[in-house]
Amino acid sequence: MRLDDLVRISLRQVIRHRRRYIGVVLAIAVGVAGFISIITMGQDVKRNFNEDLAFIGGVTIIRNVLELRPQLPLNRFHPDTVQAIQRIPGVYVASLVGLTRTKGEWQGQVEEYSVVAVDDNFWKMRGLQALTGALFDKKQVEERQRLAVLGTRLAQSLFGTDKVEGRTLELGRDIYKIIGVVGGLRDINLDKSVFVPLTTAMDRFGRQLAVDRLYVRCLTWDDVPSVAAAIPGVVQAHQSAQNLLVEVSWENLEHVKRVAFWVEFFIYLAFAATLILGGMGIWNIMMAAVRTRTREIGLKKAMGAEDRDILAQFLTEALCLSCAAALVGVALGRVLVELLSIWIGMRPPEELFFTCLAFSLIFAVLLGVGAGLYPSLQAARMEVVSATRYE
Amino acid sequence: MEPKPEPSPSPLIRVADMTKIYHNGAGPIEVLRQVDLEIYPGEMVAVMGPSGSGKSTLLYILGLLQAPTSGSYFWEDTDVLTLDRSQQAEFRRRRLGFVFQACDLLENSTVYENLEFPLIYEGVDKKERPPRIREALERVNLGHRLYHSSNLLSGGERQRVAVARALVNRPQLILADEPTGQLDRRHGHLIMEHFEEIIAGGDTSVVVVTHDPEIAARCTRVCPMEDGVLRGLRQ
Repeated sequence: MRLDDLVRISLRQVIRHRRRYIGVVLAIAVGVAGFISIITMGQDVKRNFNEDLAFIGGVTIIRNVLELRPQLPLNRFHPDTVQAIQRIPGVYVASLVGLTRTKGEWQGQVEEYSVVAVDDNFWKMRGLQALTGALFDKKQVEERQRLAVLGTRLAQSLFGTDKVEGRTLELGRDIYKIIGVVGGLRDINLDKSVFVPLTTAMDRFGRQLAVDRLYVRCLTWDDVPSVAAAIPGVVQAHQSAQNLLVEVSWENLEHVKRVAFWVEFFIYLAFAATLILGGMGIWNIMMAAVRTRTREIGLKKAMGAEDRDILAQFLTEALCLSCAAALVGVALGRVLVELLSIWIGMRPPEELFFTCLAFSLIFAVLLGVGAGLYPSLQAARMEVVSATRYE
Repeated sequence: MEPKPEPSPSPLIRVADMTKIYHNGAGPIEVLRQVDLEIYPGEMVAVMGPSGSGKSTLLYILGLLQAPTSGSYFWEDTDVLTLDRSQQAEFRRRRLGFVFQACDLLENSTVYENLEFPLIYEGVDKKERPPRIREALERVNLGHRLYHSSNLLSGGERQRVAVARALVNRPQLILADEPTGQLDRRHGHLIMEHFEEIIAGGDTSVVVVTHDPEIAARCTRVCPMEDGVLRGLRQ
C-alpha cells in the first residue's frame, strides 16, 4: 500500500470516529501541554521564586566576608574582583556592601545611625522595591550623590510617616537628601538603617567604612554550590583571599530544594500518569476497534490486503491519534506558556519551546507505536474466514 | 441476451481429491470429501446444496482464504497451495473477486471508497482509479451512486456495489457466496443478470454458491453438493 493512501485512509478513519477518540486525545493533550509548560517555564519559575526571597529564605544568596583577623592586614573587595565574580556562570547579581555607624543631629538631639553603603545592585540582589519615592540607581551611585534611602522603621521613628521623599538627614557633617523608603526588609536592623550610595560613603566615611561584604545572588538554587565553589578561586585571582569567608545557608538551601523537588516530582507524576492513561486509552480503543471492525478486516484481506497492510493501517490510525493529541497538547502548552510568561513576567527562550515540540512529537510517535502495536498485530494476524463470518 | 461463448478447453482451475477436516471437541468433521472440480474461463458454475453441505468451505478454499486438509488445487499451471501467505494475498487481489452473502460493504464509507480499496491494495495509480471505479459501477447500473454513503443504499444496491467491487480489479474468477440470499426475488435476478453479463465477455468465470434451484438454473453448469461430496468435472 502506498504511504499517501495509508495516511489518507487512516486519517479518514480517525476523523469519522472522532467522538470515540476524543477522550483519549484530550487526556494525552493535557499531559503533553503540562510537560511543555513545566519544561519550558520551569527555569523561569525557579528564577521567579528566587526573586521572592521571603518565600525561599534567601537561600540563593552567598555572603562573602573578608574577616578582620589580628595577624592579617585590613582587606577590601576590589572593584575588578566584584566584576569577575559577576561573570561566574550562574551568578544573577553581585553587590558590594559597606557598614558603619555615624552620628547626626536631628531636631536638636544627636542620633546614632546605622549606615549601610550599597551599590545599585543591592536592591536587585535583595529583591527590594521602593515603598515610597525611589531607590538610587547606577547613575546616582557613579555620580557619588549625597542621597539617602531609609528603612521603614527608621522613617517612621524619625518622621512618623513613610512619605519622606525630599526631606534631608544629617549624617556625620553632611546633609543627605532622602529620596525614598525601601520596603520588604525582613531584617529589623536593616529596617532601622539608612542606605547611602557606596561611592559617596567611601568618600565621606573613609577607613571608618568596612567594605568587607560581597553578596552574590545566584540565578537558581541549583547554581549555588557551583558558584560558592568558584568564588575563592576568583577572589584569589584578583586579590588576597586569606581572610575570605564564604557563607551559604546550606541547611535552608537543602530544605527549599527538597520541597521544590517533591512539588516538581508530583507534578511530573501527575502528567506522567495522564500520559500513561492516555497510552492505555489508545491501546484499549484500538483493541475495541479491532474487535468491532473484524468483518472489515476479513473483507479487506479477501480483497487482497496483506497482513502488513492491515498492520500498517491500524498502526497508522494509532499514530494519527497520538500525534493529533500531541499537536493539540503543543497548542495548549503554547497557550499555557504565554499565560505563565505574562503572569511571572519572564519569557523563556523560543528554542526551548521548539525543542519541547520536537520531543512531544517523538514521544507521540513512541506512544502511538507502543500502544497501537499489539492491537495492530492482532488485526493483521486475524484469519480471514473467521473474520468474514464474525457477527 | 447474446449466446454464451463456448468455454475454452483448458480449465482455469483444477481441484482434485480435495478434503477438509475440522477438528472440534466431538472429534473430526469431514466437511469436504474427495472433491473434484474444474472451472473453465467464461463459465458460471453453481455449487448447489443444502446448508452445512460444505459449499462455503469449498468457496473459501477456492478463494485461498482457507487451506484444505489434502488434495490439489491448480490455477492454470500454478499449484496455488504452495504459495505463501503474501503470495496468496497477491493472487487474491490480482485474479479473484468476492461477493459475500451479507452485502458486506465498509460502513461509513462512500461507494467510491468501497471500490477503491482493491485498487489501493493492487497499487493502481491514483489517476487510473476513478475511470475503473466508474466502469465497474456502470456494469451494475450504479454509476449515479458513486459518492453515495454505503449506509444509505438499499439491500439490492449494496449487493450490486459488492459485485462492482469484485469486478473492479478485473478478476479471472468471481466467487459469490449466496449472493442473492438476502435479496428479494427481483433483486436476486438482477444480480444474476449482472453475472451473466460479466461472463459474456469470456474473460471472467463465476462460481456461485447457492441453495436456490432457480438461481442455480441460470448458471451454465450446476454442481450438486451433499455431505461434502461434489462432482464438479464437466461431462
